[in-house]
Amino acid sequence: MTEPKLSEDIKKVVEKWRNKKGSLVMILHEIQNAYGYVPRETSLELSKYLDVPLAQIYEVITFYNYFKLEKPGTHRIAVCMGTACYLKGAPVILQELKELLDVEEGHNTKDGLFALDVVRCLGCCGLAPVMMIDSKVYGKVKKEEIMNILSEYGKEE
Amino acid sequence: MTKLTKASFDQHKAEIQATSKNWIKVGMSTCGIAAGAEEVYKILLEEAKKKNLSIEIKKCGCLGMCYAEPLVEVHVEGVPQVIYGKVNKDIAIKILEKHVGTKMLVNDYIFDLALTMKEVRK
Amino acid sequence: MDKKIVLLKDTSIGAADKTKEYYSLILNLLRDHNLQDSVQVVRVADIGFYDQGLVLKILPEQVIYGRVQESDLLPVITETIQGNKILDRLALKPNEKQLRIVLRNCGQIDPENFDDYIAADGYAALKKVITGYKQEQVIEELKASGLRGRGGAGYPTWMKWNFARQVKAEQKYIVCNGDEGDPGAYMDRSVLEGDPHSVIEGMMIGAYAIGASQGYFYIRAEYPLAVERIQKAIAQAYEYGLLGKNILGTEFSFDVEIRLGAGAFVCGEETALLASIEGKRGTPQPRPPYPSIKGLWGMPTVINNVETLANIPVILLKGGAWFGKTGTEKSKGTKVFALTGKIKNSGLIEVPMGTSIRDIVYNIGGGMLSAKGIKAVQTGGPSGGVIPKEFLDEPVDYENLQKLGSIMGSGGMIVMDEDDCLVDIAKFYLKFCVEESCGKCAPCRIGGYQMLGLLENITNGKGTNSDVAKMKRIAQAMQKASLCGLGQTAANPVLSTIKYFAAEYKEHIEDKKCIAGKCRYLLNYKIISDKCKKCGLCLTNCVFGAITGNREQGYVLDSAKCTKCGRCYEVCKFKAISKG
Repeated sequence: MTEPKLSEDIKKVVEKWRNKKGSLVMILHEIQNAYGYVPRETSLELSKYLDVPLAQIYEVITFYNYFKLEKPGTHRIAVCMGTACYLKGAPVILQELKELLDVEEGHNTKDGLFALDVVRCLGCCGLAPVMMIDSKVYGKVKKEEIMNILSEYGKEE
Repeated sequence: MTKLTKASFDQHKAEIQATSKNWIKVGMSTCGIAAGAEEVYKILLEEAKKKNLSIEIKKCGCLGMCYAEPLVEVHVEGVPQVIYGKVNKDIAIKILEKHVGTKMLVNDYIFDLALTMKEVRK
Repeated sequence: MDKKIVLLKDTSIGAADKTKEYYSLILNLLRDHNLQDSVQVVRVADIGFYDQGLVLKILPEQVIYGRVQESDLLPVITETIQGNKILDRLALKPNEKQLRIVLRNCGQIDPENFDDYIAADGYAALKKVITGYKQEQVIEELKASGLRGRGGAGYPTWMKWNFARQVKAEQKYIVCNGDEGDPGAYMDRSVLEGDPHSVIEGMMIGAYAIGASQGYFYIRAEYPLAVERIQKAIAQAYEYGLLGKNILGTEFSFDVEIRLGAGAFVCGEETALLASIEGKRGTPQPRPPYPSIKGLWGMPTVINNVETLANIPVILLKGGAWFGKTGTEKSKGTKVFALTGKIKNSGLIEVPMGTSIRDIVYNIGGGMLSAKGIKAVQTGGPSGGVIPKEFLDEPVDYENLQKLGSIMGSGGMIVMDEDDCLVDIAKFYLKFCVEESCGKCAPCRIGGYQMLGLLENITNGKGTNSDVAKMKRIAQAMQKASLCGLGQTAANPVLSTIKYFAAEYKEHIEDKKCIAGKCRYLLNYKIISDKCKKCGLCLTNCVFGAITGNREQGYVLDSAKCTKCGRCYEVCKFKAISKG
């Protein structure tokens, strides 16, 4: 999984989709699931393997917010910016995270421990404001609690 | 499983509809899980086994009352069917002891919205 | 006497909750009458009524009493509990505001258990249709129901199906749009997670009616649980022979696959969604041709939203006429809303079309979260508008919401209070659309960007009087010239806030003030010397040196140096700093 190439595993996945119409988006999903992003080398190999121009692959990757071109930090923090969360103080939560981690949204912390993302509605409006670290959802987040929450994920610095 | 046909469909349905017993349902959609439903579900399973209670513990979807998650609905013969909200470990155990065990409703956690939600059933 | 249960809850708003006191009083009275063993008293967290004082519910008779006073408790016990007599002066009618058609199984069945769905009449409509209905009959039934698309625009579903049915083609497709991207709305996620088989069944009935043999679920990748549950449900349906070849031994065959969205709001637009399923960038195409004529890979394709499809099995099972009995003249059935914002009971609700906003907010939502009054309700998300509190009694349906300058949309309903700045809200929604614009057509790409710039100026205190007129002109161009729904409606939140909250815009522009206290650059922090206890906490927290003074003489804030970060306001324990 560490080699960002078109490994045998990925080839198997690609084979599954190969003869289906319009499968490029789904193949990219599989690749991102495996690596956490879509590495350039993988795209190059994929282009040869599927006989699809690299530009076409990149055109798709860059269009969709979900696909990433850079390796994300170990833990992904997703701050929900849905309307309910926005009204109930999500901007304050985001600001606090930015300050604590010294990072801008869409980027990784310097130590690579966290990636900070802003997302559209996690669908837990009843718990607003909400943030998610990896797959764990934190509801009714208060600014003062963030430091503690982050400390569950190892050292910050 | 053999594939259903016109005839076997109704037969299958009659068979499964006949079974009715006591159950507890835990709302396990994204919002419920975010509020801690998984832990509640686990503790219910464990404790029911420990206490040797004959009750089925099931997962279900979202009842819509996000503000009161995690939600647990209890159906025990002889006690009104109710929904408990904001359930944590302790309340889950209390529900088993009191509601299931001694057939008494538990104070302070019932969200009685049965009347505000009319369902479309037969 | 049968064992009775008394549920109680003090539902008074704005006063201390006295449920516990009443609980003890009732217990004592029961003991006095030697009833402690035959009646259980239970304090509940929510009794389904709001602002009705002490509410009692007596089971098993389901007698409900509201505004019960202490002096009423004795007669309740002697007359109702002992004597089975209903006290008319206290009786409340059941609060039956919600009607669950779409959500009929959500929270009722185990979504991962196939038999649970069958036991709840699942696939009975499909069986009825494929073993006894002609295609035209299905469409007739749908026409009689009056069902309109629940994705937002409200196009009659039967017409969409009928167009696709009439086209002759080798292959037709049906697509379920589960790319719910509206921030603050999650109805579709809940249905997919809570009752996946209903959506599959609805899709299959549609497929049968139009003659499609292949279906696609297009679901947001951000909804992993929904994807997982649909996946499981599809696998189960194949296993039981409800998907695949010769379903239930009939001639009807149907296959389904899942395609994942990848975080592009514009893919909610039909033609963009289809491009995405084809594995391409999700940019929209001009219409016509409509997808029902020329859709996926050039073939007739029907695209229905999750909620629309979840309605279908019930309509076919109970009949279109039955469905048509609920709702208003032109909007039939129910609508699911994600009720959120500054409201007590945030959650998913389903109400008959035509229910008033007031009923939704106060009788279902339980009223406002805090003592702050309601200011407006937003529906339709980034494509919708705000409805100010003057229109709370208006019924909710497609036509009426449009008349008010908003839209039904997919079902987000966000309640705002006096702490919310409507200019800021307009900016929030417009920013969303600008970020999500695919960039294909200029009116949306450039218009949105320019309008956002003007709005930012206004909230930063640099707005001028001509800005509002400029925004209106840009909005007009976007509405008329944009290629797809995203651009055509992106200006709606701005237009509707200008329409109803012009005074608020004026305050931002002329007085450089934001009364709600949301627009940071318009705030003016001051230390109120009367309230100041001279603790010095603000001084130590101000990293910009804007606060000076000492513990003897007190502190002053130099607004020229203040960056309006708000730190002092937050740390002051005595509310001695104002931000007006």
